[in-house]
Amino acid sequence: MTDDHPHHGDHDHDGEDHGHHPKPKLDIERRVEAIEALLVERGLITSDVVDAIVDTYERDLGPMNGARVVARAWTDPGYRARLLADGTRAVGELGFGGAEGEHLVVLENTGDIHNVVVCTLCSCYPWPVLGLPPRWYKSFAYRSRMVREPRAVLAEFGTALPDDVEVRVWDSSAEVRYMVLPVAPDDAATRSEEELAALVTRDHMIGVAR
Amino acid sequence: MGGMHGFGPIAPQPDEPVFHERWEGRTFALVLVTGATRLRTGSIRPAIERLDPATYLTSSYYQRWARSVEDGLVRAGTLDVADIDRRAATGEPAQAHRGDTDPEGTAQLVEALVGPRHPSGDIVAGRFGVGAKVTVKRMAPAGHHRCPRYVRGVTGTVTMVPGGWPPPTSDGPPEPTYTIRFAMADLWGADAEPGWLYLDLWERYLE
Repeated sequence: MTDDHPHHGDHDHDGEDHGHHPKPKLDIERRVEAIEALLVERGLITSDVVDAIVDTYERDLGPMNGARVVARAWTDPGYRARLLADGTRAVGELGFGGAEGEHLVVLENTGDIHNVVVCTLCSCYPWPVLGLPPRWYKSFAYRSRMVREPRAVLAEFGTALPDDVEVRVWDSSAEVRYMVLPVAPDDAATRSEEELAALVTRDHMIGVAR
Repeated sequence: MGGMHGFGPIAPQPDEPVFHERWEGRTFALVLVTGATRLRTGSIRPAIERLDPATYLTSSYYQRWARSVEDGLVRAGTLDVADIDRRAATGEPAQAHRGDTDPEGTAQLVEALVGPRHPSGDIVAGRFGVGAKVTVKRMAPAGHHRCPRYVRGVTGTVTMVPGGWPPPTSDGPPEPTYTIRFAMADLWGADAEPGWLYLDLWERYLE
């Protein structure tokens, strides 16, 4: 249906107008569409539930959630203590939880200790606070190398660790999901939570940045 | 996969979208919906691991998910391969059928996915406590498991006991898991980088 279209343009993401498709569909793309169509036609699911899940993970979940958690921990010692004692409940206080965050453990970086998270099995990742993982986190290169040569991998990310900093690599391939609490900036006490949250990136909370 | 050589450098992409293609998002959502509604069998991991190694290594992440969601739907008897083949050949998109909506069911499912929860993990009596030295069994199991090759035969120390969960491919009862700390040198040899590797393992993998 689309193979006669001459141009490769932006992908149609609005989900409404599919009279034209900018590039030929992959076989896998056709199969996924066929599976969804069959499930909908047979009344087994509705399309709006699929739309809602896509929207939720595109808009509502992402590192901005984890950044709020980190900023709160940097400004509120009581919250920090609760976060380190029971990550699941503490992120729940800020409204975050659910799938792939059912048992969250927060790892505290210090001047002497650097934590970094990987999943050698596949892609285990704390969705409620970080959203879905980037491609590189799921890549064979990251999964194979981070457990064996973390300092070399961190250096490639621009994070050269001094020799006296202890490296702790967490391979999260069972039920616990891990998030790193980065070291607070020196002037954290004088800044607002919003300002601090803006400093925190996904890479800080995976541990490939420091 | 842990410890394997030859996959080259890691290539982060700045400002990466959550889903690179529309079908990736549909695939992701279909995995969650069909899992929650039990239209497919079990976890998607065993289906992914049934892929032959050449297919596994040459498929993208969401291609593997798409193959496994189809596998689970077919195994559960929800769809059959011939129907999917026929429908895919028409190229008719699912949007042609978006007359049916279920706002209430949708809201419930989304809430169940992202609603705050209490920590999972059951308190179950286990053989080991914090500080115990444990050795990972040497084994070569077929099918899905959660014991990476690179720790087999290696001794480490229990540092946390997070709780019990049903073992992989099982619906229960919960079995204790342990967070175990391994020295890098014990995993990779004397010329390993200094440092520690932490991994959670079910009790069945330990002795």
